[in-house]
Amino acid sequence: MNPPALAQGVRFRRSADGQGVLLVPEGVVNLNDSAAAIVELLDGKRTIDAIAAALGERYGMDNAVVRSDVEDLLQRLAEKMWVAEAATAP
Amino acid sequence: MVSRPLSLLAELTYRCNLQCPYCYNPLDLSAYRPELDADAWCRVVDEAAALGILQLHLSGGEPTLRPDDLCSIVERARRREIYTNLITQGTFLSDELLDRLVLAGLDHIQLSLQGAHAQLADSFAGAAVHERKLDALVRALQRDVAVTLNCVLHAGNIDGIDDVIALAERFGVKRLELANAQFYGWGLRNRAALLPSREQVDRATASVQGARGRLRGRMEISYVLADYYEVFPKPCMHGWASRFLTVAPDGRVLPCPAAAAIATLTFENVRERGLAEIWQHSAAFNAYRGTGWMAEPCRSCDRKDIDFGGCRCQAYLLTGDAGATDPACSKSPRHDLVGRAAVGSSAAMLPRRP
Repeated sequence: MNPPALAQGVRFRRSADGQGVLLVPEGVVNLNDSAAAIVELLDGKRTIDAIAAALGERYGMDNAVVRSDVEDLLQRLAEKMWVAEAATAP
Repeated sequence: MVSRPLSLLAELTYRCNLQCPYCYNPLDLSAYRPELDADAWCRVVDEAAALGILQLHLSGGEPTLRPDDLCSIVERARRREIYTNLITQGTFLSDELLDRLVLAGLDHIQLSLQGAHAQLADSFAGAAVHERKLDALVRALQRDVAVTLNCVLHAGNIDGIDDVIALAERFGVKRLELANAQFYGWGLRNRAALLPSREQVDRATASVQGARGRLRGRMEISYVLADYYEVFPKPCMHGWASRFLTVAPDGRVLPCPAAAAIATLTFENVRERGLAEIWQHSAAFNAYRGTGWMAEPCRSCDRKDIDFGGCRCQAYLLTGDAGATDPACSKSPRHDLVGRAAVGSSAAMLPRRP
């Protein structure tokens, strides 16, 4: 699949107190730290493997475990239509 | 400590060229003048950003009746990293205005229809605008901005819900909001004509559930419940003065867009006091903040942190006491007030007027 990206009308930012949030058409969604770390890397260029590798290295975790967490989160965000595949491969 | 608000609803004007009978705007529309000018709104945006606001909803009335001011406000909000959402009925969305809004950084447009078919939809809008709205929808969908199509449901159009969903599908809409009418302002005035029967609501709810399953991953459908037929009240505004605030066209700051109807409260104005001060210290905001104000049956209810006693405005409008349990709650001693509401589309509707 193409690299994942935030859907149109969805933005990630951190609030004044550092909380990672998704700004979506329906409102403001608070993200926990691990979800925020994943979402922050969704730029439409990094593949799921690249995201898993970057996070695995950062937190000293096994890439396969991280990859499964990334896939789970993306699946849930895709169901709400907050992430999509990037339109074209990089 | 008082929590930070997340979202601000900016009501640029209560003027509108349509006459939807379910409008939640107040009946005394002309009392909200003079309107804040663009400079004052930009100052509100700056103060909102400093207060931690993350989303700005631009509404009214019809906000595109002030196109230049609207673009200036969107641009300022974008500069402050605030997400911007335009809530419009779309009749003034020219190519030029759409392009200017997208350039200014608008994130999202919510465009409303009154139904799936022109004749019926136009009868509620009070003008022949349905085709023009569809044209605006197409042109919005072609641009670099997210779009939600919205339709308010009531006794007169709720049976056509499947056609609204089919229309959204046909136009390639990715987000659809189907919202049962809530009874405030003109909507409350017209409640007898607008309130659907329980059977109508049940059929509509089943349609939404079916469509959600069928369209999963292609269209996100959000559904605003008909609180008169629910067991528990809506968690209105996620609690009074907890996450949301509204600035009315004249600068009055409200915890909820319908709150000005509560005659027992006095609302302060951004022309006279800063937004942060009003949020933290105004008596009206603190009146129903948290759960300390609650009486029974809310006080001892295990859902008081889930639905916050329901809607303060609805409690006031139906019982005369803004501190009462929302009568939409089945535990309310005045639940008869919603149960007894007359159902029947034969009642005459009073079109909203400016």
